[in-house]
Amino acid sequence: MAELLLDPKIRLWVFLPIVIITFLVGIVRHYVSIILSSQKKIELLQVQDSQVMIRARLLRENGKYLPRQSFAMRRHWFNNEETGYFKVQKRAAASQNPMTDPGMMTDMLKGNVTNVLPMIVIGGWINWMFSGFLTTKVPFPLTLRFKPMLQRGVELAYLDASWVSSASWYFLNVFGLRTIYALVLGENNAADQSKIMQEQMSGAAMAMPPDPKAAFKAEWEALEITEHRWAVATAEADLLGTSENHS
Amino acid sequence: MSYNFEELSFSEAKDLLRKWRENNERRSDDVIELWTSVISDNVAKLGNEKHLVLEQVMFAALDCHAYHIAVMCTCMLSYEFPNSMRVLRYDAAYNEAKESYGEALETLDKIIKADETNAAARKQRVAVLKSQGLINEAVKELVDYLKKFMSDVEAWQELCGLYTRQGEYARAAFCAEELLLHQPHNHLMHQRLADIRYTMGGVDNMELAKSYYCQALKLNPDNMRALLGLFLTTNNLLLHYKSSGNASKRKELWKLCQWAQSAAARRQRAARAAPATPDLTQAMLALAIHE
Repeated sequence: MAELLLDPKIRLWVFLPIVIITFLVGIVRHYVSIILSSQKKIELLQVQDSQVMIRARLLRENGKYLPRQSFAMRRHWFNNEETGYFKVQKRAAASQNPMTDPGMMTDMLKGNVTNVLPMIVIGGWINWMFSGFLTTKVPFPLTLRFKPMLQRGVELAYLDASWVSSASWYFLNVFGLRTIYALVLGENNAADQSKIMQEQMSGAAMAMPPDPKAAFKAEWEALEITEHRWAVATAEADLLGTSENHS
Repeated sequence: MSYNFEELSFSEAKDLLRKWRENNERRSDDVIELWTSVISDNVAKLGNEKHLVLEQVMFAALDCHAYHIAVMCTCMLSYEFPNSMRVLRYDAAYNEAKESYGEALETLDKIIKADETNAAARKQRVAVLKSQGLINEAVKELVDYLKKFMSDVEAWQELCGLYTRQGEYARAAFCAEELLLHQPHNHLMHQRLADIRYTMGGVDNMELAKSYYCQALKLNPDNMRALLGLFLTTNNLLLHYKSSGNASKRKELWKLCQWAQSAAARRQRAARAAPATPDLTQAMLALAIHE
């Protein structure tokens, strides 16, 4: 099969514009999301809950360094049937419908405005504007399976799979510019679309706020079955043992 | 280490400030000197770090009572962040440094009212009360704070110190245990708990103090204070068991006591071999004689 020759104008008017457009859109997105982002107000109760959880976990893990009495006292404070912290504190089960919370709604709206909308608009526009071009060729042979990935918009059955169409070039840019963004905008920028895509793939279940009631119950159980073995009890013998070895 | 501040270039000064900031070194005199000799003329060149440097210089200026510098920094920051809680807190710190405590507390209350989760403002309230000498109020405030922010190590440490100052050793011991939970591999924490237990006195507390001194020594064999503490504790316990007559326990204690003594002596010999014998080992010897 004869080698295809691409018009140099394609490089000038399709290949480079797509790179530049995707890059600039990412930059704009970053700054728009900075403008729109609202500082999340944390509630005191949430802070308190998380700190209590940390303390209970530490008691479980490092409780062995405390004297037995001190350990029992702290566990009593957490776990006692009538007065224990985990029993007394009643937290509302936090699984309300997010639609009823107006703050949540605006957050979702902002997320959509900065993430989904540009993706649809820019993607659609690029598809319409630059459709049907072959832009570049990857320098190695590929199997036929790669054709739908690399040649979106160019449905030629006999074309070599290593040619890349303009629409696919756009997607490659969307996913591949991450390191460039990190270079230009610093870490944790909002320009990267692929991250958002991953988040959407992993499903909405992740976004559920942690339920303090369930967490308290789990921690209560874990603490209840923790056994206290005083780690400091052997310190004396260890000290004498090591010294005898040395001398 | 001293620097000749006049000769430092701008970027060197910037790096030095960053180093101190990141290592939490409180070299306020040096910071102010750097500021006046190098940085203050070209603040705009600081770029990204401008606000951090301004904050650092502001606190250093308060340390040195160079109020005009502090006011200038706060003005620059509040011009750029008009409604920031963080800048408002500098205002409180300024009032605190000038010992107008009432106004400082007022400002801090305002911050806490606006943002309930502002831990720094709450802690600063405690500091203001402490510098007024109102230890009881400070303790109350700090306990209140700890009910909400239970895993704040610094706060537990501060409370431990306050209780020790008040002589409420049982409560101080509770705080020390809490510190131990957070940092179980820090020998100073074990030593602190042992110190408190030793001060409380009584056989049970002495036994605990002995164990924790041992643990501290196990974690860091060079901890001289723990060695001294172990020696004193074992002596004390030996005296007690002499009267109650528990032979096996006495024997063990005797061994431990001997070990502490010989370890101290060994360290003293090592220190004597090196030039400039510290007085501490001398003191240890004086204590060791009467047993």
